[in-house]
Amino acid sequence: MRLLLIEDEKKVAEFVARGLKAERFAVDVAYDGQSGLNMATNCNYDLIVLDLMLPVLSGAEVLKRIRRQNTSVPVLILTARDAMTEKVEHFEAGADDYLTKPFAFAELLVRTKALLRRGAVNRASVLRVADLELDRLTQQVRRAGKRILLTSKEYSLLEYLLANAGRVLSRTMIIEHVWDESFEGLTNIVDVYVRHLRSKVDDLHSVKLIRTVRGVGYTLSDETLA
Amino acid sequence: MNTRSIRFRLIVWHAGLLIALFLCFGLATYAGVKFHLVRNLADSQFRRARQIGATLLKDIDKTGEAYVAEEINTRYAPEINARFVRITRGDGRIVYSSGKPKDLSFDPASLAPLTNPPDQPSTRQEKLSDGNTLLVAIVPSVSDASNRFYVEVGAPLEPVQAVLNKLLFWLALGLPFIVAVAVGGGHVLVTRALAPVEIIGRKAEQISLRNLSERLPVVPTGDELERLSIAVNHMITRLDEAFQHNRRFMADASHELRTPLTVIRGELEATAQQARLPSDLRDTIGSVLEEVERLAGIVECLFALAKLEAGDAQAKWAQFDLAKLATTTAEQMCLLAEDKGISISCDAPRAISVEGDSARLKQVVVNLLDNAIKYTPPGGMVNLSVAESNANAVLEVADNGIGIPATDQPHLFERFFRVDKARSRDLGGAGLGLAIVKSICTAHGGQVAVQSIEGHGSRFKVELPLARGTNSKSNHG
Repeated sequence: MRLLLIEDEKKVAEFVARGLKAERFAVDVAYDGQSGLNMATNCNYDLIVLDLMLPVLSGAEVLKRIRRQNTSVPVLILTARDAMTEKVEHFEAGADDYLTKPFAFAELLVRTKALLRRGAVNRASVLRVADLELDRLTQQVRRAGKRILLTSKEYSLLEYLLANAGRVLSRTMIIEHVWDESFEGLTNIVDVYVRHLRSKVDDLHSVKLIRTVRGVGYTLSDETLA
Repeated sequence: MNTRSIRFRLIVWHAGLLIALFLCFGLATYAGVKFHLVRNLADSQFRRARQIGATLLKDIDKTGEAYVAEEINTRYAPEINARFVRITRGDGRIVYSSGKPKDLSFDPASLAPLTNPPDQPSTRQEKLSDGNTLLVAIVPSVSDASNRFYVEVGAPLEPVQAVLNKLLFWLALGLPFIVAVAVGGGHVLVTRALAPVEIIGRKAEQISLRNLSERLPVVPTGDELERLSIAVNHMITRLDEAFQHNRRFMADASHELRTPLTVIRGELEATAQQARLPSDLRDTIGSVLEEVERLAGIVECLFALAKLEAGDAQAKWAQFDLAKLATTTAEQMCLLAEDKGISISCDAPRAISVEGDSARLKQVVVNLLDNAIKYTPPGGMVNLSVAESNANAVLEVADNGIGIPATDQPHLFERFFRVDKARSRDLGGAGLGLAIVKSICTAHGGQVAVQSIEGHGSRFKVELPLARGTNSKSNHG
């Protein structure tokens, strides 16, 4: 999998590239719009991560020209502007997804993987981690064979954690996925729901599946973090 | 009618001035005509009196009194001409007195005999008992034999009065006409003069933050209104530039602030992922990451505020049901309240349609409920209600929590204001939530107010205009 990162802020480009390489992606970096566009047209990339504020050629212009030649490559936009009102414009211009700075790297990773696998996202009807299982058809949750009763929000939260099992999900990601953008900034609602979910899923068991990653978010996995 | 409008005031001034002018003119005319008519009448009486003195009384000692009387009757015919003639000797004996005039316009017998005769020719007005006024000219006269006589010649003032009455009649008839012309003409004039102002006003009203690139029409008439519209256009241009400058500044500032935050966050996260990290360092990094997130949140809020003030909320304008929005939001936040042992109730029985950005108005509900839950101790109550009052949608969030000291209430909606600094910081607040609530309300043409008693609870009241064309009756259900 070959990725192109067009980002003029060297430090941002550096840690994103490093992180993506650690996930075994091949990453090329361009530091301005023109060279980014040249690389995008000369090479076949599986995904382009594009910053909007670029020297020489603006990100929006780059996106427009890329779309003129190659309509299928997924483009993930990074923006330092408030995305609320510009979101629609990005999608209209042909972006597949967007992230507002400062973003959590985990979020970038989740979105990148989602874009690369498009359609092949975890659609299994039964999600399973260790002895916890969630049936999407009957909307039933069992741990060690015992039925657990969840409210609809708790169910959505657990489904999201299970579908991304092993990945760290930031509170912002959880809010956007389970609630909506009006709740942004109200991150304690996530903590409350996770606590309730824990009491139902983990409290009676010695192996705790839901973990807090301090400063980052939550993850659900059966591997113990080092 | 608006009595303070320029139209009304101009018409009143115009009409008032015209009427005052007309009254002055009428008064002067009346006085002048009266003066001239009376003087004319007096002059002709003097002339006759002098004639009698010069022609008849001069020789009275030779011709005799009877001859004089005869001559006066034939030459002047006072009875036929409705004149009064009387000749009195210096010793007071009446030599001649004319009789009743043929038209019976006055009775000469009611005139008192002459006493204290003047030395010089003079006039006097004699009020008769029958109501008539007689203008009498007296001329002293001396005969050849040095006998003194006083000749009085008089005429009734009634014909003069009749002319004056006629004049008064016409003037009075003219007044309503003048008033009608003044008001009507004034109305036409003012309407014509103010029509361009009306157009400018209407157009200026249409120009909002959404279409600052539009300008007022400028008609090149060279008059004051052209100058006014040009001046207003210049002002709109400056406003437009200021707003664009502000937007550019925000985009730049946003970029400049967010980029280092992105780097800090990314590097720290990458470090935290390293497997061989001592747990105390992992904890430190986590703590720093929490602060980065908070800083990012504050930056986000500040830009949200700045954008709201730049009129950005109008981008996603739509009509929606505020009651439904409030109910679903309350349900979504229910667990947050239950977690603290607070009961939350929602009272929004009927649909209330408002216009605006529903995501932002939802944030108002979220922020108010979040505050209510934060500052209400376990066992407390939070009530959310949506109702309609005085053509406004009213959303209220009331709690029986710790309340707000009266001295802090005026500052509550200011940026970064916190009632209890240490306490609210622990709860994760930056003091921007209520500032955002206020900005969103203002951007929607509404307002927010607070009532609170320390220790007893607070009540936040948001008022928003109802959606246009909303009939309250059609909203039942």
